[in-house]
Amino acid sequence: MTTPVLQVDALRRSFGPATVVDGVSLRIDPGETVGLLGPNGAGKTTTISMIAGLLRPDGGSVHIQGVDMASDPLAAKRHLGLVPQDLAIYPELSARSNLSFFGRLQGMRGAALRRRVAEVLEVVGLTDRATGASKTFSGGMKRRLNIAIGLLHEPRLLILDEPTVGVDPQSRNAILESVEALSGEGMAVLYTTHYMEEAERLCDRIGIIDAGRVIAEGTRDSLVELTGRTDTVTLAGDGPLEEIEAAVSRIPAVREVHRITGEGRLVMVVQGAPQAISAIVATASGAGMTLRDVEISRPDLESVFLHLTGKALRD
Amino acid sequence: MGRVLVMVGSDLRQQVLDRSIFIFGLAVPLALMWVFSLIFAPLAQDLEPVTVAVSGPAEDPLTGTLAETLDGLDDAVDVTVVEADAADVPTLLADGEIGAGVLVPDGFSAALAAGDAPQVRVRLPESPGLEGEVVTAVVDGVLRQFTATARTAAAAEELGGQPQEVDAVLAEDAATGPSVRWAQGETADEQLSARESIVAGQAGFFLLFTVGFGVLGLVVEREWGTLARLLSMPIPSWWVPLSKGLSSWVLGVVATGVLLLAGSLLFDDVHLGSPAVIAVLLLAVVAAATSIMFVIAKVTRTAEQAGVAQTIVAITLGMSGGAFFRVSSEGVLGTVLQLNPVTALGRGLGITAGGGGVVDLAPVLAATGLMCVAMTALAVLVPGRRDVL
Repeated sequence: MTTPVLQVDALRRSFGPATVVDGVSLRIDPGETVGLLGPNGAGKTTTISMIAGLLRPDGGSVHIQGVDMASDPLAAKRHLGLVPQDLAIYPELSARSNLSFFGRLQGMRGAALRRRVAEVLEVVGLTDRATGASKTFSGGMKRRLNIAIGLLHEPRLLILDEPTVGVDPQSRNAILESVEALSGEGMAVLYTTHYMEEAERLCDRIGIIDAGRVIAEGTRDSLVELTGRTDTVTLAGDGPLEEIEAAVSRIPAVREVHRITGEGRLVMVVQGAPQAISAIVATASGAGMTLRDVEISRPDLESVFLHLTGKALRD
Repeated sequence: MGRVLVMVGSDLRQQVLDRSIFIFGLAVPLALMWVFSLIFAPLAQDLEPVTVAVSGPAEDPLTGTLAETLDGLDDAVDVTVVEADAADVPTLLADGEIGAGVLVPDGFSAALAAGDAPQVRVRLPESPGLEGEVVTAVVDGVLRQFTATARTAAAAEELGGQPQEVDAVLAEDAATGPSVRWAQGETADEQLSARESIVAGQAGFFLLFTVGFGVLGLVVEREWGTLARLLSMPIPSWWVPLSKGLSSWVLGVVATGVLLLAGSLLFDDVHLGSPAVIAVLLLAVVAAATSIMFVIAKVTRTAEQAGVAQTIVAITLGMSGGAFFRVSSEGVLGTVLQLNPVTALGRGLGITAGGGGVVDLAPVLAATGLMCVAMTALAVLVPGRRDVL
């Protein structure tokens, strides 16, 4: 069995009478991206602070790459890259100087450090702005530098705490692409957000956290199943609808088909619409349908959160 | 520990890039030194020599004693006593040939012995200056003593003493003169001249701002988020405050050293002593000032709060330490308020200016060491943010 990059067990933390984190457990394997999705104040940042060794837990344990954070924090932190929610950069320093500084604190030196600085500047698209003071950067550029510092020492675990807050759509997309690339390189990523679309796009598994507790955890589809709702695919077009209905009904992912003859539409209940859509379209075309419109409707994590907590994600 | 130096180096580099340290650590204090020097130094200069004309009856014993007392004031003010006719005194004053005239009436000693209250008049020019004030005060003091002695003799005579014995006492008193003499006092910090005190006071006062650039950066970095990032690094967490303390210390030593050097070069008559001994003093005083900043960093939550707290502390310690004017250190409260880096710098520079060496500085160094320990312990124990302290 592979050693998990991150193993969190029954983490607890209170501030005065308020229990902010109440028994959170998590496991992240190499190359896996796990999201912590929850509204503001749900306990995401406190959980991350304990995982990163910034805050001592009242109970529970954190192991990074098998190293206990409580008993050997320095060894555990060597495997960790933290991208805090705040723009944790020095405004007077350039991007290169910020990276070099934090690289030295990670124990990097000389040519290896210079090479790695150049690499991460390239990854986050700041090579052209490497020497200017970072206080002159746009919000998106500062966010990208913030992430670059977390990546610099090639950690086994990268923790991203709401890394796209206040970022323009273009920079957000660049950040999300970077994170996708990282998990492809085998890095384990813990990603907190209250943007469900980011969690859906990036995360292999998602933990939904509310009031300090992980109330559900799993893949997006398994979480959606908790709502009892499924994906819907609607095909609109011309052709022999009865034959087309019969053809698509034979696709395993298609659970139900409803024909609306007067409108020339077929409405299907589908398990995993994104994966099945190409087969559905090909089958319908093969059965003689000339498609005018294809529409996929999926229950999202917002509806999962609503289903589990009775309140909206952004309340 | 090499990574501590990396943090210190980065901190210092950022301070240089930010340039605030040059404004608040050097430019402003130098400007204030210059202004205070213009305002206060002339007021605190040594008294000018003064000529006093004494007009009185010839061969009168107490008149002679009064003249001798004035003539013997050289420790406080250089007085030259001349004899003059009472009628000439106004002219001499108007011509500026004398700084004061003392007019003693005929039969002065006899009148005093008889228990009367003969009037001695002191004539001064329109602007008598401090020298005239001193002459007046001395004449007043001597006359009070004469009167007291005469009254004591009269009482003794009433109680049965022989007139010859009483006269002998009066004669002896006249011969010996007043028992209290004027002298210019010099405690340790008063060995500094007025300008030296201004330079030392302003350097000490602004030191309490300069050291904030390092340690109070902890509060700023909390807000930036860089403190969290530093604490997530594979380094012992106490290295972070240590590096900030070292940054403060380096900034404080350099800025205060430059201020003292600039003060010595820019102003006349500023001689603070051996640079090597001053350097030892600076290392200790700056460490004490830095330790105070840790307490502020611990109890404040925002950079704004820290700035306000630092200003209050600097003004309180600056004023009680004599950065703006000399203060009394009497009583328990006075003694407590004197235990601060500004006072230590002033006292230490007083010792170095007087030619003292490192051994002579021992009490000051011990006091600053005590401050360091006390403030660091307070910073650890006082309730507040526990992320780094």
